[in-house]
Amino acid sequence: MANFDITSKERDGMGPHGTQVGLLRVLGPAHVWALGVGIVLVGEYMGWNFAVGKGGAYAALVACWFAGILYTCVAMIDSEVTSTVAAAGGQYTQAKHIIGPLMAFNVGLYLVFAYTMLEAANAITAGYLISQVAALTGYAGTLDQQPFIVLAIVFLAWLNYRGVLATLTFNLVITAIAFSAIIILFLATSGVFGGGMMRHADLMADNAALPYGWIGILAAMHFGLWYYLGIEGTTQAAEEVRSPARALPFGTLAGIMTLLIAATLTWYVCTGLIPWEYLGDGTNGSVAPLFDAARLTGSQPLVWLLGVGTLFATLASANGCINDASRAWFALGRDKYLPGWFGAVHPRFRTPYRSIVFLVPIALAFALKVPLDQVITFSILSGLLEYTFMPLNMILFRRKWPMGKIKRGYEHPFHPLPALTLLALCAITFVAVFLGYGTQLVAMIAFYIVASLWFHFWRYRFVNRGAQFTMPWPRPEGY
Amino acid sequence: MSFWNYMEYGAWALSAIFAVYIVVDWLRTDATYSEEVLTSSREGELEAITEEHRS
Amino acid sequence: MAHYVAPKQSKISQLFDVAVLLALTFGALYLPLLLKLAGGGKSVPDGAPTTWEGMGQNATEIAQYNALGFTDPAAVADIINARFDYSFSWGALILMFVIIVGYYVMMLRLSDREYRDVISEKFDK
Repeated sequence: MANFDITSKERDGMGPHGTQVGLLRVLGPAHVWALGVGIVLVGEYMGWNFAVGKGGAYAALVACWFAGILYTCVAMIDSEVTSTVAAAGGQYTQAKHIIGPLMAFNVGLYLVFAYTMLEAANAITAGYLISQVAALTGYAGTLDQQPFIVLAIVFLAWLNYRGVLATLTFNLVITAIAFSAIIILFLATSGVFGGGMMRHADLMADNAALPYGWIGILAAMHFGLWYYLGIEGTTQAAEEVRSPARALPFGTLAGIMTLLIAATLTWYVCTGLIPWEYLGDGTNGSVAPLFDAARLTGSQPLVWLLGVGTLFATLASANGCINDASRAWFALGRDKYLPGWFGAVHPRFRTPYRSIVFLVPIALAFALKVPLDQVITFSILSGLLEYTFMPLNMILFRRKWPMGKIKRGYEHPFHPLPALTLLALCAITFVAVFLGYGTQLVAMIAFYIVASLWFHFWRYRFVNRGAQFTMPWPRPEGY
Repeated sequence: MSFWNYMEYGAWALSAIFAVYIVVDWLRTDATYSEEVLTSSREGELEAITEEHRS
Repeated sequence: MAHYVAPKQSKISQLFDVAVLLALTFGALYLPLLLKLAGGGKSVPDGAPTTWEGMGQNATEIAQYNALGFTDPAAVADIINARFDYSFSWGALILMFVIIVGYYVMMLRLSDREYRDVISEKFDK
């Protein structure tokens, strides 16, 4: 098999295990960056400001940086594991090789939920934004947002269906525009070129500094995750990048750096222009805070730029979510964790087309029927369960295959410090979620317990045992 | 009817076109190729041929 | 260990499995909403003030609200006055942690049992 090249054009997509149509390996590091940042950047355009409502502007900044540490750990861990376990399904495939099938099944469901709910949240925001544009252009009636929500989801599903290269190139362009919009807004308002209009001192005076005291900071952690949620999705592209061991760590780490900058700039501009009570109410108040900040500058070009930025950010995110959720669902189907029917690849477009189609109505059901903060909470909870799994995964990975035993594409420093930090930050965030959304948290975990039992006692019989372990690694230590 | 009313209908119409495209292509693909070919993808194909690990 | 050969699943059975999973999903996500148990709501205290001064807004804040299009303080009073209630019981918090830890412990143990099968089938030739 040594002289067999899977990337050759003649035998494109075929492999020694019997693959006749597989996913297409066409992506580079820039696409990985676009996938990671594209999914997340919308978090700066909407949603993060619920953290301001939870504890005030300072609390949102503390949450922004603590969540930044949490996600830096996530990115480091992810980069190491996924540059070694490079397959569609990302963390699902990691869990399968490192912890075991039941954990993998749960992780697969976390991924699909987190991304499908995020996609629904994006579509809701896109619909809202278009209704705002209608109002600004003088439309007197109330715009029906439903057709635009449906169009956003169906159009992006169509794009994903047609092929991954076009999908992520599209993402690269619109993400770059949305990111530039934040930078331009910052440069125009902060006063680095003179004429600053920041009013932090007045807007955060007295009671407005920390309206709930210290517990507000804790509570804000819940939505602090929203600044970065989804950066771990870069791993889903593993089977479609040309050189996973290089492109995945590079794209992921560049992505988290981009986001740390974008998140801090966003906080700075928005809290310097918008009173915290209005900013913190993402349902009735500031649904799209950067857009509102642009409106407050009184500059028409900035309003348009940030309007376009918000729309692009929501589309880029929904687009990446469809990509990631369908890869995870596809990987589950391919291993028969879910019905094998989903493990199909389109022979011409080379995409997991049945998974893409299947998830469309589910995303629509939530986008059209559930309020935004609830949808976001579903997404955050699934993400949080996933981040709690990561440190366990990392510790077991280093224990079962110590350094030097297998070839790693990237090795992160200071192990086990990032894993333990991540675990501690997850525990804090669980408390934060408990403070407002305890019922949903318990309902969610009850769901995963029932689903786990269903998998262990029923579904797992359809899975071949040894064949699940596809990496050419030596036997894990201790087994 | 105003401009935005037309936009609403336009969005519905475009959604329907994309949806029909996806469903038609999906059914046609399923009818053209055998299930074995469609679901032949296996995990870890690249690793199986390019990676070498010490054991 | 004997090589385990998974049975082939029929179309009907596949469909049924998808239906079960969907029912579970929608159940878990919609039930708290339908039962009105979903948390996260803010409330406005009774008799809360509706004037700029009463709500403690300073000149800059009033100016920003005006710029956002709210010249009448009553229109944004509900947004400004609404507060979360962070009171909680320690018992409920501990219970939540027991549930979370229990969930992960259960998952790790069952996973490990399945994992040993996988490894022995893969490496014991």
